[in-house]
Amino acid sequence: MKRIVLAIAGTVAGLAALLSFKSHTALSARGALPAASLPSASPATPAPSTSGPSTSRPSRSAPSSSPPSASTGTRTVAGQAVQTQYGVVQVQVVLSGNKIKNVSFLQLTAYDPRSEAINSAAAPILLQQTLAAQSSQIDGVSGATYTSEGYVQSLQSALDQAGVR
Amino acid sequence: MTATLPAQQVARRPPQRLRISAPTALALIWAGGLASVALWWKDTPFVIGLGGWLTNAGRITGLLAGYLLVVLLALMARIPALERGVGTDQLARWHGMIGRYTVSLAVAHTLLIIWGYAVSAHTGVVAQTGTLLTSYPDVLMATVATGVLVAVGVVSARAARRKLRYETWHFIHLYTYLAVALAFSHQFSTGADFVTNRPARVLWSALYIGVAALLIWFRMAQPVVQALRHRLRVVEVRRESPDTVSIWLTGRHLDELGAEPGQFFRWRFLAKGLWWAANPYSLSAPPRPDLLRITVKASGDHSKALTSVRPGTAVLAEGPFGAFTAARRRHRRVLLLAGGVGITPLRALFESLPGGPGEVTLVYRAGSPRELVLRDALEWIARDRGTQVHYLLGPRGHGRRADPLSAATLARLVPGLPAHDVYICGPPGMTHEARRVLHQAGVPRRQIHHESFTF
Repeated sequence: MKRIVLAIAGTVAGLAALLSFKSHTALSARGALPAASLPSASPATPAPSTSGPSTSRPSRSAPSSSPPSASTGTRTVAGQAVQTQYGVVQVQVVLSGNKIKNVSFLQLTAYDPRSEAINSAAAPILLQQTLAAQSSQIDGVSGATYTSEGYVQSLQSALDQAGVR
Repeated sequence: MTATLPAQQVARRPPQRLRISAPTALALIWAGGLASVALWWKDTPFVIGLGGWLTNAGRITGLLAGYLLVVLLALMARIPALERGVGTDQLARWHGMIGRYTVSLAVAHTLLIIWGYAVSAHTGVVAQTGTLLTSYPDVLMATVATGVLVAVGVVSARAARRKLRYETWHFIHLYTYLAVALAFSHQFSTGADFVTNRPARVLWSALYIGVAALLIWFRMAQPVVQALRHRLRVVEVRRESPDTVSIWLTGRHLDELGAEPGQFFRWRFLAKGLWWAANPYSLSAPPRPDLLRITVKASGDHSKALTSVRPGTAVLAEGPFGAFTAARRRHRRVLLLAGGVGITPLRALFESLPGGPGEVTLVYRAGSPRELVLRDALEWIARDRGTQVHYLLGPRGHGRRADPLSAATLARLVPGLPAHDVYICGPPGMTHEARRVLHQAGVPRRQIHHESFTF
């Protein structure tokens, strides 16, 4: 009995210690993140190899996902907020028909200064590549693999929502 | 054939074989656990908000459960270095303790992940459970696995186990293999620590594959190989007392088994009514290259049937197992403390432990003179060694009646008791009592070696 109590108490204390240590550091970064609902560091971000529409993804309601009202005219669609190891990426696409008119970031946050530097260097290149490719099939930026992957994932989810193939 | 062997023949020590001691084994287990947590630590930059706390607690408990499942299998893989170094009974106790802990971790992991995801996604717990089951790869299988683990845990809980036949309990345990297999794939397809971390994936797989290989080798291949190589059979059955028999077995290349006095095998006698069970019995004489001996007291159905086994019966033996050997010894002087039929491994040690006159003492606790087995052989060995056998006879202590086994008696029979290594083998009640008494008499705990036969 004593052993059971010890095991439970030890585990809970250990978990709390580990988590609180990590979340102390998080406070400083939190200011950089929008107050909108953030996905947790969920283990559910496998490479987007799971084909098909992203409806099978966990329901992470993006703040402003205007539904594809009509397939003509100019539409603005927000992609999923994707959490990578180094931060959060969320894009917004402006579409005219099936053409990508513009892409911008709703969120591009970094957890540390180095990642921030990498992000700011990579961001314009990613946007450029998208406009050139007119799809999410882009090369990405070497040295910013995680940001690139998160970017592609968020972009693809926006395109999926808009029904662009 | 004499029951006792010339002294020079047993003086030959078996070759030194690899042993992993209990502290080393525990250190390895802890190191693996820390490495699992380190994996989470390295992969997690931040924990944000309540959802983050819950989800990450879920991830850590999940990692630990995944790791401990492998440890549980490894403990039961009958790895010789562990069996010799830690001891089968101790391994079984660890398995029980870690098993209960692992089931709790798996359940905690499931609940924390559901709750954490629900909080982060601002959905209800029920809706989130649905999402997790239907749209996350392999989570459904893992949920089934957790259910199986809980069921096995409940069934093997001590209270429930008593009501079950050993065979049923054993059969249900086989489902844990299914659970481990079912739980495996979701670790890689949804585990944040593995999806993006290839080296971690490789190491984790290596751990699982390695333990699977150990299981297949030591629990399945090795017994077959041993059976074919040694071809054991019964050569003689000798009645030692009205309800006790000694069984002599012969076979080929028995020296390759590396059996040591104090160890046991799981014996399967290929005879009618006996073949389906493999029961553990200690060697009751030091093993020889051509002969092994066990001594069996008729207590259960199986052992009762054994007393009428015929010479020529083929036998499959798995082993040797047990850490109850001369390797545990730390001091020059040794006390062997036997209770009832627990005398069997101690008799083998009594004959084979090196030491001059008076360095090895045997105290034999039994209900009545009639219950003493192997008495002639013990007396013979005692004379040969220049030492004494002491018998403590009488019913167990109860109320005001003192137990024959007391600290004062032991101190009187064995001068300098605290400087002795003590080997105890007997029924659980006697073992417990003996340890208490020895502690009273000032014998440090690490000098007390015991093996219990209740698993």
